[in-house]
Amino acid sequence: MSATGRPGGGDRGVRGVRGEGAGPGGPPQAPAALAAIGDDATLARKVAHYLSAQTGATVEVSGLRRFPVGFSWLTYGFTARGLPGAAPEQALILRLGSDAGLFAPYTAWPQVWALQSLEGTAVPVPRACWAGDDPAVLGAPFMFCEKVAGAAVVPWVSPSAPPLPDGYRIALGDQFTDALAALHGLDWRGRPIARLEAAAAPVTTANAAHRVIADWGALIERWAMRPYPLAQWGLRWLERNAPAAPRVAVVHGDYRTGNFLEQGGRITAILDWELVHLGDPHEDLAWVSLPMYMGGSPYLCRLLEPAYFFGRYAARSGIAVSMESVHYYQVFSLLKLAATHMAAARCFEEGRSNDMRMPAMGSQVATCLRQMEREIRQGPRPPAGAGGGKG
Amino acid sequence: MNNSFARLIDGTCATLRAEVLPRIDDEYARSQVWGVINLLNTLKVRADWSAGFLLQQLEAQRLALAGAAEALRGTPGLPDEAPPAVPQVPATAELLAARDQGNRLIGRLLEWLADPPPGLDAAALAQAQAALLGAMRAEVEIELKHSPRPLFAQMSGAVEG
Repeated sequence: MSATGRPGGGDRGVRGVRGEGAGPGGPPQAPAALAAIGDDATLARKVAHYLSAQTGATVEVSGLRRFPVGFSWLTYGFTARGLPGAAPEQALILRLGSDAGLFAPYTAWPQVWALQSLEGTAVPVPRACWAGDDPAVLGAPFMFCEKVAGAAVVPWVSPSAPPLPDGYRIALGDQFTDALAALHGLDWRGRPIARLEAAAAPVTTANAAHRVIADWGALIERWAMRPYPLAQWGLRWLERNAPAAPRVAVVHGDYRTGNFLEQGGRITAILDWELVHLGDPHEDLAWVSLPMYMGGSPYLCRLLEPAYFFGRYAARSGIAVSMESVHYYQVFSLLKLAATHMAAARCFEEGRSNDMRMPAMGSQVATCLRQMEREIRQGPRPPAGAGGGKG
Repeated sequence: MNNSFARLIDGTCATLRAEVLPRIDDEYARSQVWGVINLLNTLKVRADWSAGFLLQQLEAQRLALAGAAEALRGTPGLPDEAPPAVPQVPATAELLAARDQGNRLIGRLLEWLADPPPGLDAAALAQAQAALLGAMRAEVEIELKHSPRPLFAQMSGAVEG
């Protein structure tokens, strides 16, 4: 058992039915999707039954509670007793991909494959333990993983909040950058994440941008509850200006402050892999540099000066950063964020969730589209910051 | 209801902040209360009392005043002030439908301009595209002028340190 609460267990790989998911918690009168999961006591009994069946031991579950994080997969923490090869009291995380989540319907496998592929690499991730997609088991697609110690640095802070101390943010920023470089440098072929590759239509350096634009264009079509000509215009621009990727990499898809844990200035885990896919590494670089995640500071994700971040990333990854591609994917990222907000509005409108944060997200579509249009108008530009300076 | 819509929202938000939130320990429940406050702030700048029931009240007034005037026709000293005209207020659903129809039209025109017919004057093309872009910008600007600052920090339980 490691300090991070990693369950021991030789063959405790990911197995089970099929699965994945996470999302908002529900109110007392929960929508049907959350009713299928049941209250915490019911869920704890189901979890104990499942883990007992998986391990052949009598596993007891206690302290199960939902964390108020995220809008997609539901996240619960609990303690398991009696897991073979683990600590007497093993802290675990359960993620549920309820239909009440933003991007439902879900499957657990992409994020499970990502965690499996990154175990033992320079990208710190929790160990995936069990997963499945059969809602008959826990009411929704699910994934169990180790509970890693640490807390999230929040991306959204009030204007009066003090900035992160320089030494702390730079130390975190360096690790944040290096983990991303390691992710993009991963030789993913031959690892579980390679299952994302569609044999009939593999992602290539030439088609990576077109693929992701087509995917998100279809999602906008599905989620938008009214016409957004500015989104349509943005998609057109993206189709016309698609760059070639420097390589086909594992792209996290939501790499930012808020999606990693830190403890004592050390990043202990990169989380929230549900949007993982194969594509252009510039996509993650652009997501990191979204203005929404700067928290009112001049630093990307509240951590690093832009020029320093891109310089360090290039040095660590060996990938030459193209600011034209970063700009292109910034435009894409703003459209993707707008689409995410459209999904929130639809999820709430359809009654799949009563999470009162959803309509707040839904009100941000215009913000993202305006920023996207400005970004297109301004064009690529050098990153701000001292360049060679520290942080 | 005798209070203004905006004052009621302000009072509701203040009560939630000062009286309800301090007594809630559950993190998720707190995030939901902040979500409610965020929504109420949006309603304050975008909503008002429904015109529907006011129109019903106006119509009732109009009928009553007309009936009284008919009954008292020719009576000396009868005030002959005319009842107020009932304003023509379009239903919000009609306005939303008209906006969406306009946006669909803008979208179709943008598609058409993306692959324009041969011989279309370049200046005319640019002028048309600029006009459409101006309308799209205006829509989001107007929307954002009527959007309060979102409370994401509070909704995410953003307490550091």
